[in-house]
Amino acid sequence: MSGWGQIGAILRKDLIRELRTRDMLVSMALFALLAMVIFHWAFTVRGDTDLTYFTGGMLWVTFVFAMLLGLNRSFAQEKDEHCLDGLLLCPVDRVTIFLAKTVGNLVFLLIIQAVAVPVFVLFFVEGGFLEGLPAFLAVLLLADLGICALGTLLATISMNTRSRDLLLPILFLPLIVPLLVAATSATTLVLADGAGVREIGGRLLFMLGFDAVFLVVAWGTYDFAIGE
Amino acid sequence: MAAAHYRRDGATPLEIEIEVEGLRKTFGRREVLKGLTFSVPRGGFLSIFGPNGAGKTTTLRVLATLLTAREGSVKVAGHDVREDPMPVRRAVGFISHNAMLYPDLTAQENLRFYADMYGVADREARITELLERLELSARRHDAVRAYSKGMRQRLAIARAILHRPRVLLLDEPHSGLDPRAVDILDGLLTDIREEHTFVMVTHDIAKGLEWGSQLMIVEGGRIVYERAAGVDRDSFSAVYREHVRDGSVL
Repeated sequence: MSGWGQIGAILRKDLIRELRTRDMLVSMALFALLAMVIFHWAFTVRGDTDLTYFTGGMLWVTFVFAMLLGLNRSFAQEKDEHCLDGLLLCPVDRVTIFLAKTVGNLVFLLIIQAVAVPVFVLFFVEGGFLEGLPAFLAVLLLADLGICALGTLLATISMNTRSRDLLLPILFLPLIVPLLVAATSATTLVLADGAGVREIGGRLLFMLGFDAVFLVVAWGTYDFAIGE
Repeated sequence: MAAAHYRRDGATPLEIEIEVEGLRKTFGRREVLKGLTFSVPRGGFLSIFGPNGAGKTTTLRVLATLLTAREGSVKVAGHDVREDPMPVRRAVGFISHNAMLYPDLTAQENLRFYADMYGVADREARITELLERLELSARRHDAVRAYSKGMRQRLAIARAILHRPRVLLLDEPHSGLDPRAVDILDGLLTDIREEHTFVMVTHDIAKGLEWGSQLMIVEGGRIVYERAAGVDRDSFSAVYREHVRDGSVL
């Protein structure tokens, strides 16, 4: 079977498993919605507070921490039931496993965002959201790809350690900061100032570069990361 | 050099399926394999005995490409496990006391997943054949979580031989099985004995002697005893006690 077929098989298996157990999705969605509600009540104590310039930060802090919950779970079941050995015994390139897991995490994050973004818009965005939608979606996709690529690589590394729940955020959060800064400022410019794709082009390029760097790093190191 | 193997005429050399020379493996500073050298001819059955921590499972995991050797050469089905792991993975089936099955998927979904990963062409026919052979057809749509230990182990056997491997690595396959599951496993091993090369790690001396065409005792990461089969249980138990410090025999 081709690498694409194997990616499809891993992805299908992870989706079936997740839709059956809802381990990741429920915890991620609950966290995201709870964070939105808390931000909403915290920042609207004074009725006249303009929240528009906080939107980018609130959104990406919520998604990054929600994804951390999911990343911890995404490899835990493979490891706990020794299924990772079964997967590694298969004639599959290790990079194929990385790509399948990254796409799987991306799908889960997009599902959470499909639920959380409308709530976010309802709470924090005052008009004009639809005009900025293409630029917002571009930021969302590029930031999501970076979060999932880096997160999948680091979740794999931390999976083989005794303190994996602790190690993942320690590694992930400092490394994701550059992407987070670019995504936050781009989102704020889109939602607060009505910026389009052209105005945030530099930030989009930076995010694209970040994604490319970590995809290449994972490509070169995943064999070691998922090994012993 | 690993010893050559000959047919019963004593002159025709057998094709070597597994060849290990000077295998060393360390975990951190601890050396767990200290220069293992052995070979198994095609169709052979090597039974490896030894106490816990002797390096038996580590040896199997190196053969299966799950661990990388620090030193030495390991060839399975004619391919170097480090330089050319993909053909080795296609050639090897691994049965461990860990079933390596996804508990939230059904038996059929688990086998479909592994069949897709191995590129099994006749997927559905092969799955049906194995589930019937292992008496699991009636429970094929049940989640593996609901299976007993014996049923999981049977399904693990199906997983391991699904892609028709040439070499089967067995890590204490009888461990924790009920008598019925032991019968089914032994029946299956009998059925496929001629077509495969086996390496079995076991604490069960009776099973190891029953199946093995070659016997090996590993202690402290070294081979301390090896011979061709044809020894009775009492004699072998005495040898085991002689070579293994904690020589409790099952």
